[in-house]
Amino acid sequence: MKEKINYTEAFEELQNIVSEIEQGEISVDELSEKVKRAAQLIKICKTKLSTTEENVAEILKELENTEDTDNEPNFEY
Amino acid sequence: MSEIIQDRKVFSLYQVTRSIQKTLNKRYSSAFWVKAELNKLNYYQHSGHCYPELVEKKKGKIITQIRSVLWKRDFIRINEAFKKTVHEPLKDGIKILFLAKINFHPQYGLSLHILNIDPGFTLGDLEKEKQETLKKLRKEGVFDNNKKLQLPLLPQRIAVISVQTSKGYADYLNVFEEAENKWGYKFFNMLFPSLLQGDNAVNSLIKQLNRIKKVSRHFDVVVIVRGGGGDIGLSCYNNYLLAKEIALFPIPVITGIGHATNETAAEMIAHKNAITPTKLAEIIIQKFHNFALPVEEGRKIIVEKAQSLLSEQKINLQTEVRHFKSGTKYLLSKNRNILREISNTMSWNFQATFKQERERLETYQIKIGAETKYLLRDNSEELNRIGYQLKRDMQQQLNKHHLSLDYQLRNLRLGTGRFTKTSEKELSNLEKNIALIHPENVLKRGYSITLYEGKSVTDIEAIDEGEELKTLLYKGEVISVVKSKSKSNEREN
Repeated sequence: MKEKINYTEAFEELQNIVSEIEQGEISVDELSEKVKRAAQLIKICKTKLSTTEENVAEILKELENTEDTDNEPNFEY
Repeated sequence: MSEIIQDRKVFSLYQVTRSIQKTLNKRYSSAFWVKAELNKLNYYQHSGHCYPELVEKKKGKIITQIRSVLWKRDFIRINEAFKKTVHEPLKDGIKILFLAKINFHPQYGLSLHILNIDPGFTLGDLEKEKQETLKKLRKEGVFDNNKKLQLPLLPQRIAVISVQTSKGYADYLNVFEEAENKWGYKFFNMLFPSLLQGDNAVNSLIKQLNRIKKVSRHFDVVVIVRGGGGDIGLSCYNNYLLAKEIALFPIPVITGIGHATNETAAEMIAHKNAITPTKLAEIIIQKFHNFALPVEEGRKIIVEKAQSLLSEQKINLQTEVRHFKSGTKYLLSKNRNILREISNTMSWNFQATFKQERERLETYQIKIGAETKYLLRDNSEELNRIGYQLKRDMQQQLNKHHLSLDYQLRNLRLGTGRFTKTSEKELSNLEKNIALIHPENVLKRGYSITLYEGKSVTDIEAIDEGEELKTLLYKGEVISVVKSKSKSNEREN
């Protein structure tokens, strides 16, 4: 269960587990697995809410690189 | 008056310009409405007057051009009316319908003196631009391209087109900062500075959109944030090129350009129009809530349900155990009772059977005892009787023989003389035999003789039923009638 899933998939899977457990579709036998999985998914979701990996400097650098080749006149602000 | 120089009638320049002025004033005495394009407003900040350059174009080319004058007082009045009605100030490039007089000034030459401008005409013209933009985009089939894009669940990485100093941008950032502090959400807002109003805004906005497009993989959404600038100068958002750029943008564009007038084309084309920068930020934060809440709720539900499921199972198990216990207890006691009952019944039956058997045995015992006693008594009596009889018979016989012997002895003694030895012996034998076979003696022993018609009966054939028989006993005789007869087999021969 260590496959890389994005937060949208994690969110959807979590919703599924919640509705399953709400509707009593989870047996005691599965419970442990499902709860463990749900904990992983919740962690993915909460991490996404509270962190971002984007970096202004890196994006600007990327822009500069493309703009150099574009030969466009620089815009003055 | 003109003067004659070398036979020529010569006017001074002033005389000419004065004449023109006089003629024009006479010819164009009243004001009239003119429609034209305001090519350049030529506003002079120092004097406050404007010297608009009016043109008329045909197929993009200027076919006529004239200067005009808009005095400070008129300009202020008209400009206010424009801002109010068109939400645009008087500016370059708009079409206007104006009331003017032809003015010729000897010093400044020909111009149109603008007395008034109808904002309604300009508004209609701008609206026409918007409608044309929308019509074109619809025709190209890209009208709702940006709307069709899916906004990510968490639009976290935001490319912001705004101005660093814009109040709207500041408001926008405040909302995010608050949300970060309050909820712990994390956003990535990167500013792409651009002019946001006026004619140059179109190029500026398109330029920034193109920059963002190059790094769009880093962003979830583009927002155009403007605020605090009033409602003026937004007709640029009706520009076809800008609107098309937004329509075809690879990620959703949300507008928050803050004005109270009709939606511009760009706003209509955008993925969503949030109207104000604050509202825009709130919409994005709401998306976070919409994500965070179910996650947290889900967590609670899972914990709650898992606990209740476990405790439910525990209770079930306990109940199960209790049922099992009481069930087994019940079964055990039930079986014990059954066993007890069976054992009781059996024991009772055994006892009864034993008792019955014992009683029967006792009865048998008694019966056998009695029977034996009776038999014994019976037999002993019989034996006694037989013994007695035997004794008596023996005695009788002995007596008889004794008597007979005595008699014979006496006879012998008496007859010795008269009989020869042989004849005496024969006689004695004869007598002895006769005595033995004498019926009297036989009868004495219990035998009887049956007579029919005076003859002894030895064969049953000699008599018939109903015949009268006489039976001779030792002492007396019996007369009887034959009731029935039967043959004795043993004596047949």
